[in-house]
Amino acid sequence: MKKVVMKINGKLHQFVVEPDRVLLDLLREDMLLTGAKQSCDRKGQCGACTVIVNGQAVRSCLQKVANLDGAEVITIEGLGTPENPHLIQEAYVLSGAVQCGFCTPGMIMATKALLDRNPNPNVEEIKKALEHNLCRCTGYIKIIEAVQLAARFIRGETTPGAVRPDPNGPKIGVSHPRPSAMLKACGVAPFSADIKLQDALELAVVRSTEHHANIVSIDTSKAEKMPGVVGVITANHIKGTNRIVIIFPDEPILCKDKVQCLGDPIAIVAAQTKQQAIAAAEAVKVTYEPLPVLRSPQEAMAEGAIQIHKEWPNLCFVQPQIKGDAEKAIAESAAVVEASFTTQINHQAPLEPEATVAYMEGEGEDAQLVVVGRSIQIHGVMTNLQEALGYENIRYEEAYSGGQFGIKAAITTEGISAAAALHLQRPVRYIPSIAESMLLTNKRHPFDMKVKLAADENGKLTAFTIDYIVDNGAYQIIGIYVIMRAMWMLSGSYNIPNVNAMGKLVYTNNPAGGAARGAGPPQVTFALESAMDMLAEKIGMDPLRFRKINSLLPGQSVSTGMVYEQWPFPELCDAIQAKYDSAKKEAATLKSGPIKRGVGIATHAFGIGGPGDAGRVAVELDPDDGITIYAAVADPGEGNDSMLTQIASHLTGIPMDKVRLMTRDTDHTAEMGPAAASRMTYMAGGSLVLAIEQLKKAMEEAGVKTYEGLTKAGKPIHYVGSKKAAGQEGPLDPVTGQGPSFESRVHNIQMAEVDVNTDTGEVQVIKMTTAVDAGTVINPQNLEGQLQGGMDQGVGYALREEYVHGKTRDWVTFKFPTMKTSFPTDIIIRETPRVKGPLGATGIGEMTMVSTAPAIINAIYDACGVRIFDLPATPEKIKAALAAKK
Amino acid sequence: MNDSATHTLEAGDVHQKFRTIAGREILFDKQGFLWHPEDWSEEVAVALALESGIEALSNDQWRVIRFLRDYFAYHGRAPLNRDLKSGLNISLMDLESLFPGGIRHGARRIAGLPNPRACTG
Repeated sequence: MKKVVMKINGKLHQFVVEPDRVLLDLLREDMLLTGAKQSCDRKGQCGACTVIVNGQAVRSCLQKVANLDGAEVITIEGLGTPENPHLIQEAYVLSGAVQCGFCTPGMIMATKALLDRNPNPNVEEIKKALEHNLCRCTGYIKIIEAVQLAARFIRGETTPGAVRPDPNGPKIGVSHPRPSAMLKACGVAPFSADIKLQDALELAVVRSTEHHANIVSIDTSKAEKMPGVVGVITANHIKGTNRIVIIFPDEPILCKDKVQCLGDPIAIVAAQTKQQAIAAAEAVKVTYEPLPVLRSPQEAMAEGAIQIHKEWPNLCFVQPQIKGDAEKAIAESAAVVEASFTTQINHQAPLEPEATVAYMEGEGEDAQLVVVGRSIQIHGVMTNLQEALGYENIRYEEAYSGGQFGIKAAITTEGISAAAALHLQRPVRYIPSIAESMLLTNKRHPFDMKVKLAADENGKLTAFTIDYIVDNGAYQIIGIYVIMRAMWMLSGSYNIPNVNAMGKLVYTNNPAGGAARGAGPPQVTFALESAMDMLAEKIGMDPLRFRKINSLLPGQSVSTGMVYEQWPFPELCDAIQAKYDSAKKEAATLKSGPIKRGVGIATHAFGIGGPGDAGRVAVELDPDDGITIYAAVADPGEGNDSMLTQIASHLTGIPMDKVRLMTRDTDHTAEMGPAAASRMTYMAGGSLVLAIEQLKKAMEEAGVKTYEGLTKAGKPIHYVGSKKAAGQEGPLDPVTGQGPSFESRVHNIQMAEVDVNTDTGEVQVIKMTTAVDAGTVINPQNLEGQLQGGMDQGVGYALREEYVHGKTRDWVTFKFPTMKTSFPTDIIIRETPRVKGPLGATGIGEMTMVSTAPAIINAIYDACGVRIFDLPATPEKIKAALAAKK
Repeated sequence: MNDSATHTLEAGDVHQKFRTIAGREILFDKQGFLWHPEDWSEEVAVALALESGIEALSNDQWRVIRFLRDYFAYHGRAPLNRDLKSGLNISLMDLESLFPGGIRHGARRIAGLPNPRACTG
């Protein structure tokens, strides 16, 4: 042990610590300063824990407290408060640099250290200073802009007041600061691991070391006797169905007889400390009878393959789609291309580990099980837990959550925490490592696709065929929806009169596929948009012109047969034309050496407002003439708080600071479905509009403008709006795949400019340009943030990222995007008001993720003449393709 | 094919199916919950009750059904049992025994509330 005296945020503190105690843990556990976050398992990979020690930005997870005697430490809590923020915090909020907010305190501290020594840094200096700080949401663009704005504040060139939009001015089309942004910037927004729970037990989970096996026995006797252990919980202790059900009830909270995947949960150990829980979990002896491991859909569909789930065949779902006669059209077409494409398993990579806490509130039969966690669908999780645990009185509270990107549509650590709290009747915390979080979460589905695309002599598309086999992994989660989503959006931006498709979903022993930004369309669009470029080349037509002449037009139908009356895609082609021509012209001059410039485009028309989707939002006029919105509209970083606040203020005239959001717990919110599928602006915003219209109508009828007037008139103060998307009439036809698609579309063209080093195969993204028509823009910064973050993830998907189960264990092995891999972006916005969108808006969260990867792949081909058919396009693959070409 | 060939292969949307109830074609989910709560009517409730073995809904059962619908219409979510208990002044045991399938799978279904597990988007 060693005595250490440190000044933390201006006050002297004395500690006596073990030699291996790190500053991050001391700050969070001893000082209860939770602004510094833990993501990378204390490997110094993420910078979320950055604080300032003796004037230097340091990753506090790497700092041994024993070495800090006499040090002066400043944490985010020492910088400013929401009431009195530091200029850097103001700059981050005003720049739109705060999305999920998990990385923000670390970013801000690194910025502080930089600006203290250099108040006028250039972009490269900013990138260097923040090189250890990771962000999954922003693509780093707005963070760089925030540092530049902070520098201007500090240099006295401008002030926050001069930059901040007038809160009394227009509400729509203005980047008003997000309501939650300052809390995040000051490190006081509580994420799950930050929740203070008195006397909470720490949990560890015994996870399968086998990919597929029968469980012969689980021996917990040794673990139960270990120091600090309070209980060991197995499936036998769970009184409900022990099944999580989103589509199929195939996923247990705790496995009882069989494991289907490496990392499957088998037992929970609850102990006084996390170290004790982990040690005892390691002492639980599980005896397995190994079963054949099915590592691919092909193996799983092979003759005689073992069936993974006895209730469902390995080939568990198929969906055909037949529009016209594709084979006949192909036979009669002037040009046809044919190719096979594959995409990889990928991790959505939210920076925050999967964390949940749970406790019992009240006593006896009225006690409520309270679960606080990371879900984006709190009512769905609550009802799942009710049945799985056999306990009805549950409240789910959404904590602030550090990134989402689809992963939090599934139910993960909630089941573990809730089962333990209920069984032990004690508060519990389950805060797994990032390595364990990767092991236990769902992933982006890998696709295996065979494609034919044909055109006539005029370059008009005639037919598209695609067979896609999807590796579902061990559990269903939303696999069927991924197949369906791909079908609903299969023909992308185009009018393709003849389509023949078949989607197949197959169980394997791989990690379960789940929602992942785009979820289906990114994979099939990679194939379609690659084929579009191949076909354009074959017929000798410019890729942009080829896309424009094949645009769907109002009155024509997509591959499901649904007719659209709005399709502002040709106008986007015109909008990007000049930048495209300029990029092509410049690229043509950069082909002579080993580093060759290429330009690639790809497009999509992403569906918003899914078939049969419905939202519900309640509003209530408050006694002070403010308004409260009651709806489970999760906001893991997209800016749904801005959307609700700005729409409500715009429609009612109520000041934004009197628009109150009650969105985070199941006891007080209308059920709104998941914050997924880019649906919240369209569905929740749409429901909000309908609710407010009822309120306004009641006030008009009563001839009043106040709460007092409304109540005196005997009118209700509470109204529920429910937006219903198209397709309420039923599902796609199971044989033809014809039927409804999404009510609205967001249109996009992605242009990639890349340099390919033909000696090394390395690709550098020079710039990404996106042209987007998302209808009315409510908050431009939020829109741009989604576009930039989506492009950053799309580039990672195209070039680097691949999840290998059991081997990808941290942010380095995942190849997480960094300041170094970030790239400039150019954004072109068109705003065609959508007829059925709230105030004309549609959705945007996933759009640029979808078409970025094919744009990159097409740019690589344009640069050096090799086409990559299997993502990611690593330097090794490009080098091999170049060698094969020679 | 693998040994799964003996099982039914799912195709189309596994969540939705049309049924003719009380003379109307209505969209349900596969667990028998109405897809659209607005499709509910008293005639639909009577038909669904009959399917679950209730020949005639009693006053107590109607009281529960109307409470469920009113609560859902006001709050946009289904009530917890404690809300039912306090709102109706009936013990949980009595509530559960009023409907085959209890509150969750009986009363809620007959009252036309959506399946809370529905995944949208």
